[in-house]
Amino acid sequence: MFRKKRNKQKPDTAVKQLMGIVGEENVLYLKEDLLAYECDGYTLERGMPRAVVFVRNTQHVSDVVKQLNELEIPYIARGAGTGLSGGATPMGGEVIISLVRMKRLLHLDLENRQAVVEPGYINLKLTQSISDKGYYYAPDPSSQYACTIGGNVAENSGGAHCLKYGVTTNHILGLEVVLPSGEIIEIGKSGVPDQPGYDLLGLLTGSEGTLGIVTKITVNILKNPEGKKTVLAYFDDIDDASQAVSDIIATGIIPAALEMMDQIAIEGVEASAYPVGHPSDIAAFLLIEVDGIQAGIDDQINEILTVCKSNHVRDVKVAKDEAERSMWWANRKMGFGAMGAISPDYLVQDGVIPRTRLPEVLASINAISRKYELRIANIFHAGDGNLHPLILFDASVPGESDRASKAGSECLQVCADVGGSITGEHGVGIEKSAEMRFIFSDEEMAAQTDIRHVFNPDDLLNPGKLFPEPGRCVEVKHEEKKEAIG
Amino acid sequence: MSIGLVNMLSGGKAKQSNAATVTKDHQPEKTEPACQSNPLGNYIWDDVPDATKWADCVHCGLCLEACPTYQETGEEQNSPRGRVYLIKSVAEGKIGLDEAFADPVYNCLDCRACETACPANVQVGGLIEEARGQINQSMPLSGVSGTFKKTVLNQFFPHKKRMEKLGGLMRFYQKSGLQKAARKAGVLSVMPDHLKDMEATLPKAGKPILGRYPEVIPAEGKTKGRVAVLTGCIMDVMFNDVNKSTVRVLTHNGFEVGLPPDQGCCGALHIHAGERDTGKELAKKNIEAFKDYDKILVNAAGCGCALQEYDELFRNDPEMLPLAKEFSAKVEDITKFLYDNDFKRPHSEVNTTVTYHDACHLAHGQGVRSEPRQILNDIPGVETVDLPDADRCCGSAGIYNLTHPEMAGKLLDRKIDDMPDNIDMVSMGNPGCMLQIAMGVQKYGRKEKVVHTIQLLDWAYEKDKQKMHEYEL
Repeated sequence: MFRKKRNKQKPDTAVKQLMGIVGEENVLYLKEDLLAYECDGYTLERGMPRAVVFVRNTQHVSDVVKQLNELEIPYIARGAGTGLSGGATPMGGEVIISLVRMKRLLHLDLENRQAVVEPGYINLKLTQSISDKGYYYAPDPSSQYACTIGGNVAENSGGAHCLKYGVTTNHILGLEVVLPSGEIIEIGKSGVPDQPGYDLLGLLTGSEGTLGIVTKITVNILKNPEGKKTVLAYFDDIDDASQAVSDIIATGIIPAALEMMDQIAIEGVEASAYPVGHPSDIAAFLLIEVDGIQAGIDDQINEILTVCKSNHVRDVKVAKDEAERSMWWANRKMGFGAMGAISPDYLVQDGVIPRTRLPEVLASINAISRKYELRIANIFHAGDGNLHPLILFDASVPGESDRASKAGSECLQVCADVGGSITGEHGVGIEKSAEMRFIFSDEEMAAQTDIRHVFNPDDLLNPGKLFPEPGRCVEVKHEEKKEAIG
Repeated sequence: MSIGLVNMLSGGKAKQSNAATVTKDHQPEKTEPACQSNPLGNYIWDDVPDATKWADCVHCGLCLEACPTYQETGEEQNSPRGRVYLIKSVAEGKIGLDEAFADPVYNCLDCRACETACPANVQVGGLIEEARGQINQSMPLSGVSGTFKKTVLNQFFPHKKRMEKLGGLMRFYQKSGLQKAARKAGVLSVMPDHLKDMEATLPKAGKPILGRYPEVIPAEGKTKGRVAVLTGCIMDVMFNDVNKSTVRVLTHNGFEVGLPPDQGCCGALHIHAGERDTGKELAKKNIEAFKDYDKILVNAAGCGCALQEYDELFRNDPEMLPLAKEFSAKVEDITKFLYDNDFKRPHSEVNTTVTYHDACHLAHGQGVRSEPRQILNDIPGVETVDLPDADRCCGSAGIYNLTHPEMAGKLLDRKIDDMPDNIDMVSMGNPGCMLQIAMGVQKYGRKEKVVHTIQLLDWAYEKDKQKMHEYEL
């Protein structure tokens, strides 16, 4: 390394044992290095890990897990750490098993439209590596520039195009998993979708790293659509925009993507690195994409334009070329990060609501914004009812983090109250475990934790995530973690 | 003043419950009184990092894969997001200004690729440079000078090829004023005698233009405008052909070229290394030297970016700040200037196949990407071939290839590996990259000629002039 380490912290016994498995250069244990791992993309709650171990292969994972079992040290699997619910954030004292150095594309079978990747492989890289052959990988979370497919499996990530193509679980054909016992198993061995027996792939996908550590993933890849067109529509009234969404779906068209942003969200992306020049005085815009067989796309586009016009659209246009289309999408995909340009911190929520209830939900969110005196931007996968209220706050102002946290929780309550859900694609993690009570009874949650115990009997793998522990609430967790750090 | 007291005075920035205890463990080792009037957490030295810069970061992670050191290591603390987090943590009093903090901060290439990727325009480069300034003041002995000493002794002497690289750069150090820093570290006193011989084996460069060319060189034909050119250190010492091309191209395009004699090193390398005081001295000199010009053109991306950021350097100096702002606004890369001023399209063919490498401080630092490519495309006979990941750092990164040879080597390997086959030349806009890539070309036994974009344009013009001359005969 670069600088001589005076007063260097010494590795403890556990760290030394881990070094014995993966090599000294693959373990981090200095406080300054670990500090960067105290949270993922969700920054409201933080905890220090005990060490970070970089594994290179499945056997490493298995050996490390066995060692940690023996030492009774809890552990977490981590990809790029772009998750938005704290799934890869330590509660305090866990060993992080980082999978980012397992980042190879292992096998490509274009004839059968399959690819096998390691968990640290970057989502967008898969599409980039097969696009010249005319293929792509459909799930496209906005963090796809940096997030790993292993992390996508853990969170069952969605993306702008999951309206038509489904979320990650719809694209997973097989997994190699290291169970908390250290045992290595394969699920969906032949890569054939829908095998007989229980749907273990479905169970593992979206289990938020609480049932096992995925070490190899067989994914479905798709042929590039023959045609693709994208529409941008500006509305002066958010109710009109909402109605347009419902009317588009009612025509029978299934757009590849149907996105909405409100005024504050637009202010954010326009201050970001990829401004489009959206008018600052519009209430909302819709970004609508249609793809598929070339014939018929223009008809669908015309129908969408008609719907927008009948809903008092101020201005609507079709992307004139790929460059314009890419610019619109880059602008949209920067949405969350762009909040940094208009606010020191933000908390993103991930509610799901029936599409038709959008106007009243937005009104309620507005009221929450006023109540807590915090601005809330809304980015919305409108087509499938997945709403992302972005609560803007400044963590350096005493009390604002707490207010943001409470405002977020109330937003989820609103979603649950209209018959929706507390998460569409970001997962529950630490962030929303208390809010699981909004949609599940104690019995329902107990049934689910029973399943966790089948896989993870000692609860050493990613403890404290996904389900609320009895009698705990967010504030309590804050305090406990502070003690753990101190 | 005790650090605890400093923390208290800093207005409660170190608000974490554990801050006080942590701080005690990480007191800077230098015990002189802090001269900073407004300390921030454990940043107690002059010229504190800018809290508004990290306030823009929301930890989204979109920068991760843009960062060459993250790509290589996968380590969060060696990612832009992680570094920003650690820099912020020092201000919050969670960690101190010590070696373990310095590692990730100095491992950064300062290539700015993260700034291109960042949705919120977080100025990571500025933060890194400011943090290095603090580390340097806090740990002068084990700081950059110590690194020079250590890396030169341990990493270079045993490796002949690396020594060749170092030998070539030594001349540059003498000219640039970095020599002083190196002397402080004892580098020169331990240089073996044969280093001079090594220097002699390098391709013989011509003589610098600054001081040889007249202070004002008239335009060819009708004068369209008046510009000044920064001749630079490494450019004028090792690549003065590029400076000569720059002057010819500008005068051919109708510009009167000024070469202010008092100009000096831009200070980029010092600023990158955390030697901000020296950087400021050099900046003041240049601000004075160029004061009579409205346009300052630069053919070295690293220098151009540094000049454009003098205002950032003098952020905490109310006296210099307006002057620096005025100065920085006048600075422009030569290719952008020519493109924006409808440069004369050459008529003669330069039959060659070229790939273009984006210098970090041109693409990420100044946002200049299309202009140099456009110039290449407008030269008849030049066929351009895309370089994959053209804007990924080649590993040169100022003095990074000296302080971090291993990482720099990996990045150079990747760059050469990406270079398409069957090309004649690699074109770029920065002397550091030219040296680094030339080294890579040599290492891998490849044949490509490493050129500055402006040279290709100059050659085409020269052909035009030659033809004119033939017609006239």
